[in-house]
Amino acid sequence: MDVLRFALRKLLAGVPLILGVTLLSFTLMVHFGPDRTFELLGKNPTTEQIAELRHQLGYDQPFLLRYGQYLRELLTLDFGHSDATGEKVASLLARSIPVSLALVLPGFVLGNLLGVALALLAASCRGRWPDRLIMAAAVFGMSISFLVVIFVFQIWFCTSHGLDLFPVRGWGMADVPDYLRHVTVPTLAVVFVALGYNTRFYRAVIVEEMERDHVRTARAFGSPPLRLFCRDILKNCAIPIITRITFTIPAIVIGGALLLETSFGIPGAGKVTYEAIISGDQPVLKAVVGLTAMLFVAALLVADILYRVVDPRVSLE
Amino acid sequence: MSRSAARDAGDSPGHDTLWRLAAHKLLRDRAGLLALAVVGIYLLAAIGVWLGWWAQEWALITGSKWGPVSAEHWFGTNIIGQDIFQRGIYSTATAFQVGLLVAVLAVAIGALLGAVAGFLAGGWVDEVVLWLLGVIDAVPFYLMVAAIAFALADYPYSMHVAMVSTFWTGTARLVRGEVIKLRGLEFVEAARAIGVPGVTIIFRHVLPNTFHILLVKFTLVFVDAIKSEVVLSFLGLGVKEGMSWGLMLSESTLEFLAGQFNNLIVASSLLFGLVFAFNMLADALQDALDPRRAA
Repeated sequence: MDVLRFALRKLLAGVPLILGVTLLSFTLMVHFGPDRTFELLGKNPTTEQIAELRHQLGYDQPFLLRYGQYLRELLTLDFGHSDATGEKVASLLARSIPVSLALVLPGFVLGNLLGVALALLAASCRGRWPDRLIMAAAVFGMSISFLVVIFVFQIWFCTSHGLDLFPVRGWGMADVPDYLRHVTVPTLAVVFVALGYNTRFYRAVIVEEMERDHVRTARAFGSPPLRLFCRDILKNCAIPIITRITFTIPAIVIGGALLLETSFGIPGAGKVTYEAIISGDQPVLKAVVGLTAMLFVAALLVADILYRVVDPRVSLE
Repeated sequence: MSRSAARDAGDSPGHDTLWRLAAHKLLRDRAGLLALAVVGIYLLAAIGVWLGWWAQEWALITGSKWGPVSAEHWFGTNIIGQDIFQRGIYSTATAFQVGLLVAVLAVAIGALLGAVAGFLAGGWVDEVVLWLLGVIDAVPFYLMVAAIAFALADYPYSMHVAMVSTFWTGTARLVRGEVIKLRGLEFVEAARAIGVPGVTIIFRHVLPNTFHILLVKFTLVFVDAIKSEVVLSFLGLGVKEGMSWGLMLSESTLEFLAGQFNNLIVASSLLFGLVFAFNMLADALQDALDPRRAA
């Protein structure tokens, strides 16, 4: 009951945030955005034709009314039809978001697990050469542009200039081998780029916890390393880790894999977003921005509830 | 009266200030010094471009299509015969222009709003700033850039505006937290007790005590800005005039299948060198300026 009341209060607190995001993006993209009247009309339109199209597009309505319309679309999740393809925005996103998730999740999970493993190795050898080597490699990895990683991996794994093992572009989820064929190189790229940041983050968190008195005491009493790590360190690291993971998720679900999807020609939400940006497809952009904001508020809520789960001292008040 | 009091409270010569300790530590940090030197070399290359000393023929067709590496063209030529090395060096100036402009403005805005919000924490100003931070962090970055590009209608600096308006939030959050800590300390209480106005307290007593955070944040925002420039220019949302590493990388995608990698190699190596040096510098500064370690 407490949790429910807390969740409701948090959701209410998220309303100003969603209003802010939608107002900001609406003002920038729609109010100042491109005027499509003459793009859609034929040559030499009459004044009536212009007026009629502007009415259809809603350009003749006052700002607040159009913004209200947007909010209604967001509440009903009915964003109308894409300007570019005429497809319903809802079905466009329903088709592309699962692709993005299937594309990014393996890399996200592997990147975090490997990051924790390397961070543990570094933290347990603190100050000695494995630590220095791992941290130097992390800075090295952080300094390489994601774009360059994608290009080099494409050339190396996917073309005749390298190993030529995987297709350069395209996507398929028909069966497992098909999925693996298309997801491997993007996953390697994601892991490579994220690993440096993840390792540094986890090492900093773990080192801080390892220095605490109760960990030293537990070690002095002969607690086995694995138990020490799981019970005394990991649990206390949970809050920063939860924060980091929950706040990456909204960005990943919608639009996060934009660069990856455009480079590999994968029909996910990122590519849909990119194409909407390039062609000024406002119904799609409005849907993407609105949904991201809603997911963000949901992530805030989930993070707050998880804080409570891992740390009973956090109050729900 | 309050001014001389503030000056007397400052550090007298011979006293080990945070900055003197930090400079001392930085001078003994070989990796940090090396990073600083590398950044200096890049800066020199950029200044040379601005002053017209070199890389001025970046847009001229001076050779044949995909010319080989030679004494005249150190890294060959691109698809239409422009000198790749000159384009790479010219892009260094673009990178510094983007990095410096974005980092200075974003850190300044973040420091100002963060300090005001932190100083007035709990009040409505703080609420508004926190709301603004939440709103900006909840908008996907690429969409923000595209939206601002739309709104500014082909303004050549729309990418810079977009980066400044998204990158200030990190600094603001950090500074706000630090100022909340600072405002409870005795020297702020003392300033308040003798009637120093709030604005003066923020600018004279509080903000200077966050400079060590701002310096580190500056290097990190600089890195973010040049890395984002590359991605945005590649996507067609970035640099519109001149040349940049992102545009070179975008050009290089036309050359992969023909087995021409000079654009990719030059642009990515120059980019990597600068980002790596800045990352190392940020680490060195962080180590040197961390008061816990300076103690």
